[in-house]
Amino acid sequence: MDLEKLYAARLHAVRERPYLAAALFALHVVESPATPTMAVDRHWRCYVSPAFVDRRTVPDLAGVWVHEVSHLLRDHHGRGDAYAAEHGVDGPGERLRMNIAADAEINDDVYDAALPMPPDAVRPESLGLEAGEVMEFYLRRFTFGARTQPFAWLDCGSGADGGARPWDLGPAGARGLTTEERDAVRFRVAHGIVGAPGDAPDGWKRWAEQVFHPPQPWRELLGSAVRSAASAAGVGEDYTYQRPGRRATSLPGVVLPALRRRPPSVCVVVDTSASVSDRELGSALLEVTAIGRALGGRRDLVTVMSCDATVATVGRFCRERDIPLVGGGGTDMRAGVAAALERRPDVIVLLTDGQTPWPSARPAARTVVGLFPRPSEKWVATPPWARVVRVGG
Amino acid sequence: MRVMTRMRNDDQLGTAAELLALLGDTATEERRDVQLDALTLAVAADLPVLLWGEPGIGKTAGLTQLAADLGLPLTTVIASVHEPSDFAGLPVVGDDPAVRGVPMAPPDWAVRLVEAGRGLLFLDELSTAPPAVQAALLRLVLERRVGALTLPPGVRIVAAANPRGSAADGWELSPPLANRFVHLRWTHDAAVVVRGLGGVWPRAVLPRLDRARLPEAVAYARRAVQAFLTARPGLVHRLPGADQARGGAWPSPRSWDMALRLIAFATAAGTSREVLSMLVRGTVGDGPGLELLAGLDRLDLPGPETLLADPAGAPLPERGDLRQAVLDSVISAVRDRPTRERWDAAWALLARAAETGPPDLVVVPATTLAALRREEWDVPALIDRLAGTVSLSRRAVAA
Repeated sequence: MDLEKLYAARLHAVRERPYLAAALFALHVVESPATPTMAVDRHWRCYVSPAFVDRRTVPDLAGVWVHEVSHLLRDHHGRGDAYAAEHGVDGPGERLRMNIAADAEINDDVYDAALPMPPDAVRPESLGLEAGEVMEFYLRRFTFGARTQPFAWLDCGSGADGGARPWDLGPAGARGLTTEERDAVRFRVAHGIVGAPGDAPDGWKRWAEQVFHPPQPWRELLGSAVRSAASAAGVGEDYTYQRPGRRATSLPGVVLPALRRRPPSVCVVVDTSASVSDRELGSALLEVTAIGRALGGRRDLVTVMSCDATVATVGRFCRERDIPLVGGGGTDMRAGVAAALERRPDVIVLLTDGQTPWPSARPAARTVVGLFPRPSEKWVATPPWARVVRVGG
Repeated sequence: MRVMTRMRNDDQLGTAAELLALLGDTATEERRDVQLDALTLAVAADLPVLLWGEPGIGKTAGLTQLAADLGLPLTTVIASVHEPSDFAGLPVVGDDPAVRGVPMAPPDWAVRLVEAGRGLLFLDELSTAPPAVQAALLRLVLERRVGALTLPPGVRIVAAANPRGSAADGWELSPPLANRFVHLRWTHDAAVVVRGLGGVWPRAVLPRLDRARLPEAVAYARRAVQAFLTARPGLVHRLPGADQARGGAWPSPRSWDMALRLIAFATAAGTSREVLSMLVRGTVGDGPGLELLAGLDRLDLPGPETLLADPAGAPLPERGDLRQAVLDSVISAVRDRPTRERWDAAWALLARAAETGPPDLVVVPATTLAALRREEWDVPALIDRLAGTVSLSRRAVAA
């Protein structure tokens, strides 16, 4: 095998993508005539076909280096396994679909003038899908057909989809990286990108921010925020020495606390200005009211009001899907919070896009803000006294 | 007649008991299991552990096994069905409370633990305990006090909790309580479960501490944590802000102290880096933990001065990325104190690196080193050994 050419290509890749240097150098090359092109496994070995090295130019090979290491950095094998487990699908065909979807995720920012894109590379457009999304998104949206026919030969190895390959050396093989070492390499690369984001593309910056803080599903976060606000000390169910416990009768002379339950009341203020889409709003509202109901167990404890520049209707919510929301135009959450406080709730939930003035002082109730970030607004001011959950996605 | 039926029934039950005994007759084997190793090391280091795992994954079974292996009596207390007074002590009103005060009587399990002098206290379902119970548990976990009793040093504390997603009615763990635990994610390994159902479960082995290495281990751990926090003072104390980190580990002086203890134990026991990584990340959080481990990696790499002193014999790491980091550190050492001898030694080292590993990672250090040349210094003869690297670099430039 022309190792010199292969290493020259890696050097070229490192010069063009300095932020991936640590990861590229961490790969261990294994000569493997059985591999169609170049493939990686989850232990960060890179299997290379000698014929493939002879066929391609150095810049082409450099592009493949970056492509393969991207699979590993983005943990496509782990995510592929997770997808297979979640959907109960597995097999060579499904793993090939994962490989194609993983390629679609990384190919939008691997190539440029210095690392030319191979003509047969998978791009989201070639699947008829929008760019800038992740593997799981693409997996849900395409099936095999005429569009995917050209990719039937594709094989980036077990590192790209988690499916075993005949040429893999396996965990016991030489020079593999342990889970902890893989994490350490990922961390060093991410740390370098976060520390000096200079020329890294946006996709890599996003990855670096999220790699050890994966975004959690917002429903879970919103739910837990509302739940913890509603169940905090002094709200809802807790122990109190204000009344003797029921067991105290059998223990004369012993003071026991009693469990007292006061269902928390939740007040949801909905921003109905034009900037929040109905679908997002609907799903967030369903989520919050369901939690409110589960906590209180009584319908009259959850109030929903819509708010734009003034507070319009206040409706006790009766049937989940039938809350009259009127409004449009600007928003003023100060009015919304003031109106909510009149009802003396335990918890206030504000669903808004953040394009609003906020009350300057902490309201007299625990506050959770469900924020619908707009793509155009990278950053919106949120009050420090509220727990903010970014909704969407 | 009725007597006959009863006899037959008794027999049936006896046979059932025999069958149950056969089913319960399982063997254990020593098997390297990272999470079990991490748990035993933390228990040995006398730090409270919190196991996070989905319901039904065998946390309790694992604990029972651990207690049996370590020969400690197991006391299980299900936190979510207790009242705060069960942990803070029951106030017992005596004859003259104004003069004598009101003593807080401990519950029976605590009394038994103190009598035994040793044991494993397992607090189950911590995340579903109401806030007031969690607050009462703080004192138990931190000060090891239940009411007026102090648990003896031979008692180890392990707790279990269900992650937020799967807890039926989970309260979040409050940050003060979360900060006192080493958090371990407990997952099941299908292979281990299958083998266990076949009758053989893995066995925990207490880490074998090497008496000769104790002082060295303490010095190493102190140096590592000190060096790291000197460089990153912002991480000494950082309350969890992001939503996903709530209820998990976060860095504070207390948890750094715990991390230091774990590093010392892992060093003295010679445990794998993987186990240590799991423990440190579970003590101070993922980000700070990974950074600290990256610092440990740097401590473990051969220092630039060692390599310059013996360029032909000093060990070079095998892994490409570590090797590159070492070469970079050597070049910056030469740049800081450029002398002819050091410059030559660096060339010798680069030549060796080019011959013993992938040559592409030698190119950048070689270019930098060449730029450090003074006029009166001749190019060393061994530069020929880098010829392959030069042609490789040319091919990459021509690309």
